[in-house]
Amino acid sequence: MSRGRVETARFGTVLAALLSALAGAVVLSTATGPVSIPFGGFVDAFLRGGDGTPARILLSLRLPRALLGVLVGGALASSGVAFQALLRNPLADPYILGVSGGAAVGALTVALFLSADASPVLPLCAFLGAAAAALSVFLLARRRSGVSPERLILMGVVVGAFLNAVIMLMVTLSPPGKIPGALYWLMGDLSLGTPRRVAVLLPYVTAGSAVLFLLSRGLDLLLLGDSEAFQAGLSVERVKTATYLTASLLAGSVVAVSGLIGFVGLIVPHGARALVGSGHRRLLPAAFLLGAAFLVVSDLIARTASPSGELPVGAVTALAGAPFFLYLLRRNGGRS
Amino acid sequence: MNPALTARKVEFRYGDRDILRGVDIDLFPGEVTVLLGPNGSGKSTLIKILSGVLSPRAGDVLLCGRPPRSFPRREMARLLSAVGQDPPVDFPMTVEAYVALGRFPHQGFFGGTTSEDREQVARALDLTELAALRGRALSEISAGERQRATVARAIAQGATVMLLDEPTAFLDIRHRVAFYEVVTRLAETCGVAALVASHDLSLCAEYGERIVLLSDGAVAAQGRPERVLTPENVRAAYGVEVACDRNPATGAIRVTPLRARPPGVET
Repeated sequence: MSRGRVETARFGTVLAALLSALAGAVVLSTATGPVSIPFGGFVDAFLRGGDGTPARILLSLRLPRALLGVLVGGALASSGVAFQALLRNPLADPYILGVSGGAAVGALTVALFLSADASPVLPLCAFLGAAAAALSVFLLARRRSGVSPERLILMGVVVGAFLNAVIMLMVTLSPPGKIPGALYWLMGDLSLGTPRRVAVLLPYVTAGSAVLFLLSRGLDLLLLGDSEAFQAGLSVERVKTATYLTASLLAGSVVAVSGLIGFVGLIVPHGARALVGSGHRRLLPAAFLLGAAFLVVSDLIARTASPSGELPVGAVTALAGAPFFLYLLRRNGGRS
Repeated sequence: MNPALTARKVEFRYGDRDILRGVDIDLFPGEVTVLLGPNGSGKSTLIKILSGVLSPRAGDVLLCGRPPRSFPRREMARLLSAVGQDPPVDFPMTVEAYVALGRFPHQGFFGGTTSEDREQVARALDLTELAALRGRALSEISAGERQRATVARAIAQGATVMLLDEPTAFLDIRHRVAFYEVVTRLAETCGVAALVASHDLSLCAEYGERIVLLSDGAVAAQGRPERVLTPENVRAAYGVEVACDRNPATGAIRVTPLRARPPGVET
């Protein structure tokens, strides 16, 4: 019993540390940029509601961008946790399953050919694309004996490659003026962080993360495998369907706003597991916070590292993520 | 007494291969039934059908008088627990957290962990002698210890019907005996109806009140150990010559393989 209390206390400490790290990252990211803002600017913006230039930079550019990083990073990490539990595979994430590719096709259809504006239907279309890709991967992988995680990954890779080709075709055939923006967006980009986009994304991310959290005990049981989870009392098909749809919604809505940001959904769950273990009630909140902090810091690096302009944040997450992932794999002896 | 679980004329096939052809079985409260049969005789398939994982092609399964699939999932899991043959090697949790998953039918998605849950988990860990390993990761313990953890999870589930698929396959003799002691005690004190698939012919004769011998998807014999464990029945099912006598120390049936070439092995 005391062990349980010790673990709970430790979890509380980890969560508090992650929250402080995230808050620190947001503050640092908001304070850093090409225009240096004196302390008075912060006071003016946040306490007095002023509308001088520093206040406008803070409130309509930097803060929304940092908050977008929080939402996107948290959502990608949560979605990765869900897919890894669903497929019982540590390599699963929205990318490998073709879900992000589907979301990108859905979002590009709206952005390139229908309306350029960040309308609220953009996340919805991205979600439809994500769900369609997820569903086709699922149906392709299904056999009479059921769906094996290995086949799902295989089909996800195939469908993902196909969707990438579709994306390239769409970009090439789009109106010339829109090509550079689309390419930049595809590489993963938080520079579109406006208060409006944050507001569009917020309900999707909140609802999706909340549903996953409510499913967390079911996700624990899914790790047992289908038969054993069923025998332990889980409505396996229902929980899997709900998880699949929710994780696709999270990934899809995020792709719609920020493009294809890789590696967050893959590595952050592993990092969070090393901190709080694999029980999803602890893993999901920890992964959300860690993913959020990771992406805010990555975006800060992307904005400031190169004097000649911004790097796509997706490149930064991959540059930082790949070595970290290898480190994790080696430290766990290839087990996780 | 009414059986807790009944199967009548259960048939099953994978593709065009008959796995079960008309199996009848009854499990009674307070009784340990041992399911014997050679590899591939359909034991695991039968357990999957009895626990509702697979639906039979024909025949009926009744749990407390109702088809298993007609229960809400968690209600059924409070009545029946089952563990499969393969303990999870790579399960990313501690022994204690793994065993605690057995409490899901009592908690649901949103319920917290009650003191009852903690007591049942602690009891299951004690009964399987895993208390000292509770904080270890499942991937860090031996195959036999993992197998005891799966049994502990089934015990923690607290169901009245327990279906255990070869739960002693990886266990040393001490823990084999301990397993049968525990399952017998659960039957006697809690009225559990247990079905244990096994290859331990002599040991199960010590503990099994009833033995069901499955051969090629059908029940070849069932009843008291002395009725089922005869040289003729064992030869017909396993193709092995054995001597069956009484263990002088316990009086239970003892099955000893005779050194002879099994049929089909030429010199």
